[in-house]
Amino acid sequence: MDIESFQTRVLPVKNKLYRFAFRLLGSEEEAKDVVQEVFVRVWNGRENMEAIQNWEAWCMRITKNLSLDRIRTWKRRNTQPIESSFDVQEESLTPYESTEINESMQRVGSLIEALPEKQRNIIHLRDVEGYSYQEICDILELDMNQVKVNLFRARNSVREKIIKINAYGLK
Amino acid sequence: MDSNKIEALLAKYWECETSLEEENELREYFSQRDIPAQFREAAALFAYFGEQRNKQVKEIAFDSKVVERIQTSTSANRSKVVRLMYNFSKIAAGLIVVVVATYYIRSEIRKTTPQEMVDTYSDPKLAFEETKKALMMISKSFGHAEEQAKKINLLNEAKENIQEESDTQEL
Repeated sequence: MDIESFQTRVLPVKNKLYRFAFRLLGSEEEAKDVVQEVFVRVWNGRENMEAIQNWEAWCMRITKNLSLDRIRTWKRRNTQPIESSFDVQEESLTPYESTEINESMQRVGSLIEALPEKQRNIIHLRDVEGYSYQEICDILELDMNQVKVNLFRARNSVREKIIKINAYGLK
Repeated sequence: MDSNKIEALLAKYWECETSLEEENELREYFSQRDIPAQFREAAALFAYFGEQRNKQVKEIAFDSKVVERIQTSTSANRSKVVRLMYNFSKIAAGLIVVVVATYYIRSEIRKTTPQEMVDTYSDPKLAFEETKKALMMISKSFGHAEEQAKKINLLNEAKENIQEESDTQEL
């Protein structure tokens, strides 16, 4: 594979990788850094790419592994990037966007954030990125049963909490 | 779309029995405005998913950065091997220095000290005589030393006598 076909074939998945890395790391800068590293690895392993059935899932798996590696080194050093420890929202929304985003959607966001990690990742891969169950198994290195059970739990716990909020105005 | 159909699809969705195509239908349905109130909780959830999907790497120069890193990584990879070899050779050089140094120091020690350890006589009789002579010399000096030590004894005795006398005087 030459650089040109890499640019046309592989680089376009950057947003998917970025969203997943962001989901795991909670920091835009770190997520971007991880995605760059993923691409370097993909490029270095490009000879094997033809043998891989689903290279996009493969990229996602590398993203997951590199992100988790980073989290592990933060824990070892007992430090976190400043932005996440201070909980700075760095999403720069246009005034239009910020008025458009309604409150309930943000509430859903915090509900999903509060889910256990496995459920959060699975619901992200399925409902945001639209991956098949098999692909999710490959990306997260889990078996089918675990993926289905966790997706079920994730969807239903979010649903129950939304219903509760809508019914009683509880947060 | 028929709201009954949506309701049926949603029921399947909460049970995690929808296919990707069906989830796409739901996604499309919820991307429009004016969702009936009965689907409120699903609408909030799907709106959140939709918003998440729109997240992108905002950096414009991202692609060119990746390409740049890829181009340098090929050489960086090689330099990684070189660096590894370099470190190994450093350790190896250190080991060689230590081994050579100990060898020389040992041979140096052997050269300076062990002259007396080497056999001086080839005839056992002669050696025996010489040993006897040496031992005699030692015992002679011992005898001499003993005589000297006896003088000290004399002193001790005198001291004891004085002490005894002073004891009786006190009484």
